[in-house]
Amino acid sequence: MSVNRLLRVGTVAVASLGVLALSACGSDPEPTGSSSPSGSDSASTGGAECPEGTLNAEGSSAQKNAIEEVIAKYNEKCADVTVNYNPTGSGAGIKQFNASQVDFAGSDSALKTEAKDGGEAEAAAAAKRCQNNPAVNLPMVIGPVALAYNLDGVDKLVLDGPTAAKIFQGTVKTWNAPEIAKLNPGVNLPSAPIAVFFRSDESGTTENFTKYLEAAGGGAWKGEPAKKWSGTGAGKEKSAGVAEGVKSTKNSITYVEWSYAVDNKLGVAQIDTGAGPVPLTAESAGKALAAAKPAGTGSDLALKLDYATKAAGAYPIILVTYEIACTKGLPAEKTALVKSFLSYFASTEGQGSLTELNYAPLPEEIRTKVDAAIQAIS
Amino acid sequence: MTTTLAANRPAYDGKTLDLTGKSGARAFRNTLASVLITLCFLIALIPLVWILWTVISKGYGLLLDGGWWSESQRGVTVRREGGGAYHAIMGTLIMALITAVIAVPIAILGAIYLVEYGRGTKAARVVSFMIDILTGVPSIVAALFVYAVWITVFGFNRVGFAVSLSLVLLMLPVVLRSTEEMLKLVPDELREASYALGVPKWKTILKVVVPTAFGGIITGVMLGLARVMGETAPLLILVGYSKNINLNPFEGFMGALPTMINQDRTELALQPAADRVWAAALTLILLVLLLNILARLVARFSKVNSK
Repeated sequence: MSVNRLLRVGTVAVASLGVLALSACGSDPEPTGSSSPSGSDSASTGGAECPEGTLNAEGSSAQKNAIEEVIAKYNEKCADVTVNYNPTGSGAGIKQFNASQVDFAGSDSALKTEAKDGGEAEAAAAAKRCQNNPAVNLPMVIGPVALAYNLDGVDKLVLDGPTAAKIFQGTVKTWNAPEIAKLNPGVNLPSAPIAVFFRSDESGTTENFTKYLEAAGGGAWKGEPAKKWSGTGAGKEKSAGVAEGVKSTKNSITYVEWSYAVDNKLGVAQIDTGAGPVPLTAESAGKALAAAKPAGTGSDLALKLDYATKAAGAYPIILVTYEIACTKGLPAEKTALVKSFLSYFASTEGQGSLTELNYAPLPEEIRTKVDAAIQAIS
Repeated sequence: MTTTLAANRPAYDGKTLDLTGKSGARAFRNTLASVLITLCFLIALIPLVWILWTVISKGYGLLLDGGWWSESQRGVTVRREGGGAYHAIMGTLIMALITAVIAVPIAILGAIYLVEYGRGTKAARVVSFMIDILTGVPSIVAALFVYAVWITVFGFNRVGFAVSLSLVLLMLPVVLRSTEEMLKLVPDELREASYALGVPKWKTILKVVVPTAFGGIITGVMLGLARVMGETAPLLILVGYSKNINLNPFEGFMGALPTMINQDRTELALQPAADRVWAAALTLILLVLLLNILARLVARFSKVNSK
């Protein structure tokens, strides 16, 4: 009996070890030696000294692709730093940051300074987490929001604020409605009803888009700007869901991060702000950001976007995602890591790598301010 | 009346009456039932085969690549090919191993108490009832409970070990129940024979009862492990996902196969990400399958030996 038992235990042990051995001696993949897109002037890659250690961050899923790309590029330079980013959403990121679970957070909106529902204001809680030093909102990634559509035979579609508001409110119901036809002379629009898709989950994209509809819709948008959708249409989960919905449904339209529209090969509407139709490009989105004003004071860089901008060549529907970090109060080694990584993120090289992912780089004026704020972290 | 009965009876053709066959109606009902049952079986099979086919056909490509088993995803974005699942496989195995190390001794000793020492006592009935409740606890509740204790009360960070703790809550009742059933199957005559030879109770349990049930116990452990390895809720709540290799369950974020799938799930429009999602799903299925096969093998060997 005992010999048999030994045999049996042996079988199990050997088999389990086999599983382990199969995947033993793991390593990191070789750097792909990817073509660096930017003509990097090394002068602006400030904070190039590389510390060692691990940085953990969490937050907005809108900047997931951007930060992943920057982490990969950063690791080519600083191989001894490990940066983890969990795209669990802005709210979750701020909560984990305030609970000292992560070293910095990513968020679609700046820390709220006013308390809601009798709770503690986000900014106050963040200051407590930073040993009673204020946390700073660093605008880092600009994600333009595309009006992505699926219309057979229509390569170029122009919309303006009021028309978009009417479509998403549900008052304009067909593609050949006079409002749309007026903006698209000579385009053969179908008489089919418009299928609208919206984000069923609470999303920073929805919040920014509804802010745009309120500001530029000329009163046609009835709802309040919010993370939760209040217009018409069919709900789909996450950016991937609405993009997939438009891709598989003819005569449909949605609002979605630009990169998803491009990845799914969807048509992207041009926006007429009153100064002519503006196609969505990294440059036109950057111009709209340049029109933004600082909302905070001093070194706080939270931005107030001008959605109703009429600046020539500016694409008005943009989403700014922030990194939220402590100005002081982290342990010294973490501070060095945060500074090193965020400096690279805000460098022209780091920002330059974002354009090929369909994010817009920070305008130089704002970039230098962000960089200065990062250098002030101690 | 007699005439109608005679009419229903199979006609007697003068030869021996064959009473072994079925009447027409009964044969029809029999065939109908057989067809229905087979049909239900096939319908039940459809989703299983469909899932397996989809996962295998979409996921096998990357698995044949040696890098899949030996490299992490460090520096690999959703737009790039390459990298592997080493970090996630190791994370899953490490967390499962720690879970087993904690849960298995408690479960087996608990089951021994219930069957050998506490049989019929009030304490045993209470414990048994609690285990039944624990079996029904959803993984998200176990995860939130550990979150409340580990992070809110004690103020620790989210780490792989916390995941293991919540998985213990899920694995414990499974292993305890199966061990209990196995120990109950050991005939009392064996115990009595042992006592008759003057062997003390503890030695009887150690040398007679547990070895007899050993195969079944191991099977239960394997099935318990297979159950917890695919759990996702504790991973989402109690540890961050990392693309980098982290073999330390007490510090930092850690990769695991379910969270690896979750991470790239939103980017299915991009081919490299879609490939990785399916390959990670297939890897997870293979790991669980391997454990189930091991459990079967152990069960089979122990059955042969007990004769």
